[in-house]
Amino acid sequence: MFEAIRGHLAASAPHDAVRAAHHAAAAHGEDVSAREEKRATVVFEGTAVERFKQALEAVAGKCFVVRDEAAASEVLRRIAEQRDSQRVAVTDSKLAGRVLKLAALRSEVLENAAVESLFECDLGVTGARWGVAETGTLVIESDAERNRLASLVPAAHVALVEARNVRHTLGEVLQAINERGEGGLSRAITFITGPSRTSDIELTLAIGVHGPAELYVVVIEGEGNG
Amino acid sequence: MHQQTSETFDQNAREALADVQLRGALRNLATTFGGRRKEAIATVEDWEGLRDRARAAKDETLAHLDKYLEQFADNAERAGAQIHWGRDGAEACRIVLELIRARGASKVVKSKSMATEEIHLNHALEAEGLAPVETDLGEWIIQLAHETPSHIVVPAIHKSKRQIAELFAEKVGIEPTDDVAVLTGAARRILRRQFAEAEVGISGVNFGVAETGTILILENEGNARLTTSLPRTHIAVMGIEKVIPRFTDLDVFLKLLPRSGTGQRLTAYQSLITGTKRRPEDEGPEELHIVLMDNGRSRMLSHPVTRQSLACIRCGACLNACPVYQQVGGHAYGSVYPGPIGAVITPQLSGLKPAAQLPYASSLCGACREVCPVKIDIPELLLHLRAEVTEGTAAGTAAQHGPVKQRPLERFAFGLYARAWSSPTLYLLGARVARLLQGVVVRKGRIGKVGGLLAKLAPPLAAWTEWRDAPPLAPRTFREQWRDGQYREGN
Repeated sequence: MFEAIRGHLAASAPHDAVRAAHHAAAAHGEDVSAREEKRATVVFEGTAVERFKQALEAVAGKCFVVRDEAAASEVLRRIAEQRDSQRVAVTDSKLAGRVLKLAALRSEVLENAAVESLFECDLGVTGARWGVAETGTLVIESDAERNRLASLVPAAHVALVEARNVRHTLGEVLQAINERGEGGLSRAITFITGPSRTSDIELTLAIGVHGPAELYVVVIEGEGNG
Repeated sequence: MHQQTSETFDQNAREALADVQLRGALRNLATTFGGRRKEAIATVEDWEGLRDRARAAKDETLAHLDKYLEQFADNAERAGAQIHWGRDGAEACRIVLELIRARGASKVVKSKSMATEEIHLNHALEAEGLAPVETDLGEWIIQLAHETPSHIVVPAIHKSKRQIAELFAEKVGIEPTDDVAVLTGAARRILRRQFAEAEVGISGVNFGVAETGTILILENEGNARLTTSLPRTHIAVMGIEKVIPRFTDLDVFLKLLPRSGTGQRLTAYQSLITGTKRRPEDEGPEELHIVLMDNGRSRMLSHPVTRQSLACIRCGACLNACPVYQQVGGHAYGSVYPGPIGAVITPQLSGLKPAAQLPYASSLCGACREVCPVKIDIPELLLHLRAEVTEGTAAGTAAQHGPVKQRPLERFAFGLYARAWSSPTLYLLGARVARLLQGVVVRKGRIGKVGGLLAKLAPPLAAWTEWRDAPPLAPRTFREQWRDGQYREGN
């Protein structure tokens, strides 16, 4: 296959030269510096957390911004009670563990649910490594959190994210992951933006196809919770 | 209905035009996705700059595709993935089949992948007694109906919810309903069982990062996440053009693809997968197999015009914007890839001969070029392929086939045309003769439907006037009027 690729690329070389010359002539006089200027960083109004909340709600997610983990546990308890949740799947995120403990839910909590029991859970609780303000996106990494299917299989997903981990753009997050270098890249990184959705039937929006129909994100502002 | 192939585009198109329900669905598609796209691209600064950067990244990859593919394969293998090379569709299908066989697996789920549609993977697996289950809602609908996708993003766009309700009632036994939420809920319930039992998950790939060996899959439903995390074995089928150089290049493509495709800022889920799990207690597949597939792609590298076809990120924006697609829909193209991009990719993938009509299935209006997030000059490609159809000499795919159309009369007519338009004397003479002759066909100042003997003598004129009048030449040319002082300054 490599031979075929190299052969065809070589065959293209004379045509490429003609095209390059043609383009150079056409581009003559175009002001490239003016183009560069437009590439300014997008400036958001408000804080990253405010922006995150707004973007998430625009895609049918629900966002709660709370002071500390105790307040987060109250939000979690309220959601579980409203949904009359019987079985909760949770990842091994330390943050999720602490908040879940504080919430003292009446539901059964499965920390390392096997696939079959996972399908019987009605609520999933996870942490998130990052939030992305621009799009209302959660970033979950396999190196930081195991049993991440808790974010996908149950009909409702509650994610906990620390405010200091909410970045403005996806570009910043990709950059941060990239800067860790080799070995810093998790096997699986998942970006989640709102609940599961489809428009496959007459382009009519339906929420909750294969993933959760409800997504709640609790942003925890307090210091010293890391 | 006749068998719809690319060779019968004209006939397919006529049938599609008579399908009222289809045309309603296509109108809905154009306005909905067209409108959402406009809103979504307004949320990024410097859309043009993004398009340029994406194209530059693709051009860089394609110019050194051997190098980037090797880097991708090495890094993916180092992370635990196994790489397979499929020179054509048959080989890629065989690799997938053997992988499934070797694991003694029988339960296979699939997430949406145009690459696997292209090579008819499901047929190949079904022929060997396997029953892969499509899990994307649109693909599942199509599979239940034994049809093919008519759009690369929303494959069941040609079906009404009523047809889908009837289909579900017949195939999976739910009460007919026109509630989309109920239909979707039924799909969720039924497919969950398939997911829970699946041994092998097959997916496509949207981007492969050379620098890290990562594959990225975008989706909205969550079925691709389930397909790639629940079964023990994950097989990803990836066209060789999906490679991009750097991890941070994803930023640009993730801004462009969802906005262009569905008008979303970001689809609900992106899965970035790098190799296999590192600790036995981790979740996720034990094995990841990546099938890198050529299937006619490397041929497109041999000319800069055809090479740009490989920059395509399969967003579907050109389909939604195309006035031809908007009228006839995807099935008329008789190929897996419809619309403007299909009209240029299909002849290159499957040979010019069976798809010779497709480069002509366009008015060359340029709407596709306008919306393409990676700035593929589709009209240029269409003209290039038309030249190959008639000349058979241009570089690239048709060179080995020779001309598909032999039309000496057409060639002679265009020869005359070229001569006349490059010489003022001949041009004026030609115009005078035409003015004299057109008296035969001009009625009430227009050239209406041409029939009889004349239609036989001048088939292009007859074809044109079958649907609309042709404007006749003016009694006096502009230059004659100017010479006689008919125009004055300020008039």
